Amino acid sequence: MSRPPLPRIGVFVCNCGTNIARTVDCEEIACAAMEWPGVVVARAYKYMCSDPGQEMIAEEVREKRLDRVVVAACSPRMHEPTFRRALASSGLNPYLLEMANIREQCSWVHDDPRAATDKALALARAAVARVVRHEPLEKRFVPMNPATLVLGGGIAGMTAALQLADAGQPVTIVERADRLGGNVARIDLTAPHLDSARELLLGRLARVSMHPMISVLLRAELEQLEGYQGNFTADVAVEGASRRLEIGSVVVCTGYKEFDAARVEGLGYGRLPDVITSFELELMLKRGRIEMADGRTPRTVALVHCVGSRSEEYHGYCSRVCCMTALKYGHEVKSALPGAAVVDLYIDMHAFGKGCEDFYRKTAEIKTLFLMYGKNAPPVIRPAGPKDDCNLLITLDEKLSGEEIEVPADLVVLMVGMEPREDAGRVAQLVNISRDKDGWFIESHPKLDPVATTTDGIYIAGACQSPKDIPDSVAQARAAAARILAKVAKGKIEVDAIFAEVDAARCSGCRICGTMCPYGAIEYDEEQKSSRVVEASCKACGCCAAACPSLAVRARHFTDEQIFAQIEGVL
Amino acid sequence: MAFEPRIVGFLCNWCSYTGADLAGTSRIKYPPNVRVIRTMCSARIRPSFVLKALAEGADGVLICGCHPGDCHYSEGNYKTLRRQVLLKRLVAGYGIEPERVRLEWVSASEGQRFAEVVADMTERIRRLGPSRVEMLPSTRRAG
Ligand SMILES: Cc1cc2nc3c(=O)[nH]c(=O)nc-3n(C[C@H](O)[C@H](O)[C@H](O)COP(=O)(O)OP(=O)(O)OC[C@H]3O[C@@H](n4cnc5c(N)ncnc54)[C@H](O)[C@@H]3O)c2cc1C
Ligand code: SF4
Ligand code: SF4
Ligand code: SF4
Ligand code: FES
Repeated sequence: MSRPPLPRIGVFVCNCGTNIARTVDCEEIACAAMEWPGVVVARAYKYMCSDPGQEMIAEEVREKRLDRVVVAACSPRMHEPTFRRALASSGLNPYLLEMANIREQCSWVHDDPRAATDKALALARAAVARVVRHEPLEKRFVPMNPATLVLGGGIAGMTAALQLADAGQPVTIVERADRLGGNVARIDLTAPHLDSARELLLGRLARVSMHPMISVLLRAELEQLEGYQGNFTADVAVEGASRRLEIGSVVVCTGYKEFDAARVEGLGYGRLPDVITSFELELMLKRGRIEMADGRTPRTVALVHCVGSRSEEYHGYCSRVCCMTALKYGHEVKSALPGAAVVDLYIDMHAFGKGCEDFYRKTAEIKTLFLMYGKNAPPVIRPAGPKDDCNLLITLDEKLSGEEIEVPADLVVLMVGMEPREDAGRVAQLVNISRDKDGWFIESHPKLDPVATTTDGIYIAGACQSPKDIPDSVAQARAAAARILAKVAKGKIEVDAIFAEVDAARCSGCRICGTMCPYGAIEYDEEQKSSRVVEASCKACGCCAAACPSLAVRARHFTDEQIFAQIEGVL
Repeated sequence: MAFEPRIVGFLCNWCSYTGADLAGTSRIKYPPNVRVIRTMCSARIRPSFVLKALAEGADGVLICGCHPGDCHYSEGNYKTLRRQVLLKRLVAGYGIEPERVRLEWVSASEGQRFAEVVADMTERIRRLGPSRVEMLPSTRRAG
């Protein structure tokens, strides 16, 4: 009877210059390893990740016909990809590697050479025991559907859709309202260049509605999203009727809603008819007349910054557009009503965008009275008395003068901040992305991957990710489209070789695994009466493997046998 | 000879293992008693891994995962938390002090915290003395 050949393991111990060798006796580990079952070669070397180090591994693999490799060096989070490549270059499947972390979790954290060497020995022994149970794994590919669903047809959604469609890829915009445009459609002129928002939108609206590659669904709601990157199925309700869309990617562009100013009681919004929000002023500007509730022309217009933003009580963050918008209002009030006075009540003037400092300087020249109030101490607004020559009185602790002062005004405009839409939580659940403490959608990496999310195939753009002006929303939308186009160009999606699989013969059909999976990656086969993992959706957390009472789920590369071997090895 | 506890640590890849690596890059010293096994998520840790470690002679088992709300797989650590309650009861049923099995949240930026957890756990197990599991006939103590 033929027995399976014994494994042929190579153990490579890295000195990492003196980083490891100073506390861990690498030679001792190499010597000891020669005695462990299956080990045919064990060598220490000064820099294993260097080119000569990697070549040494590759050469030993070829010469000694190694079929398993252990590298005892730094953290696998550091160099596992490097050594996997070294294996691949010598013709060995990259998953036949195991690393022992004897630097970050050993030589760098222990002083006593004997204890550190003993621990490194245990870790290396465990790695050898584990690698024996490794199996070659292959990456898989699934086709990429080039179609995209854009959720929300504001400036971000329209921009993403146009960029994709111009590249020849089909797009469906799913918009809840009865028109496209989002919040930009409620704006008159845009800061800081004072171009008309209407013109900004009109060109885009025309192109979107004419574009052969874009279909727009208005009064539409995303009801369900299933599948995985490259192969999603979306159910969309359009005016009561349900439609099914097959798409490869989703860009979430659901934007924001404005803060409810009535929550800050002292401002009197909702009680005092001449206290209005920025959006209400935009509407007046669009209609071409700035007026008070009784139709009179205001002589003094006060602008209050940071309503709902940068406060302990409401939102801690800065809404980013209100400062420039307030300056824009100062400018617009002055040109519409040259005789009127403008008072600007702010906490700090945030003018960080391109061209914004210049805009600040220019608008400050038009004789605006700037008054500074303290964080968490918003001004208080009350109706003026019959003897006062004004409509409203604003009291505030003025920081520049250090005095409590009273300012008369006829019309007060509250610069309301942005907040996540009420249904942002439901949207996040539908497409399986997360939200930060303030409720905004979370990107995959705040600096390096700002439009992807932790769910592959789902992207975010515009103000749904955090308060944003138009240029930033547009930039994100284009970035998301570029990310999708890169995947479409490849035509297929690489599925990591590490995923869970169900042994149908062992599966009792209890469906516990399915309820455990955070990604809905486990399907139940009614005919076979067993569960099945959709490889492309599985993120390899291993939760299902831990939960299956029948031991029917194998978490590839983290199997029970591999971990048991490791446990025996470390002890 | 003084009793040196042997502790098996199961650390999730995304937060806790990275946090333990950070302790290394920050050169924060801690006792060498914990030997770490990496899993993708703390939710991969089957109760039988813990029992296996105890049966093989571990004096303690440390499980570390991401802080609640931070699990890379969004909710794995909540499952770990629920399992931990049962696990403690289970080991108590085998006559093992439940304190030998400890669950801690360690984020990727908490190298210092990881070092403190290891130091504290090592000290507590040292005071508790060797695990009595080795007296069970079916188990062995390796090495
Ligand atoms: C008062 C004010 C003035 C401003 N002035 C300026 C300015 O001068 N210059 C500037 O650069 N920026 C300005 N901004 C910022 C600007 O409004 C935003 O940058 C811009 O609106 C962001 O676009 P968006 O597409 O991300 O979101 P939105 O404009 O909010 O659009 C989102 C769209 O998604 C739709 N939607 C939401 N949820 C769903 C769902 N679940 N299903 C389907 N559809 C959905 C909405 O109906 C909407 O059409 C101003 C903001 C405010 C508050
Ligand atoms: S392989 Fe890791 S441990 Fe070795 S030299 Fe490179 S960085 Fe250092
Ligand atoms: S938990 Fe196990 S037995 Fe139950 S359905 Fe899933 S694979 Fe089958
Ligand atoms: S390993 Fe995790 S993601 Fe994959 S099927 Fe199991 S529970 Fe779902
Ligand atoms: S990934 Fe850390 S606990 Fe789930």
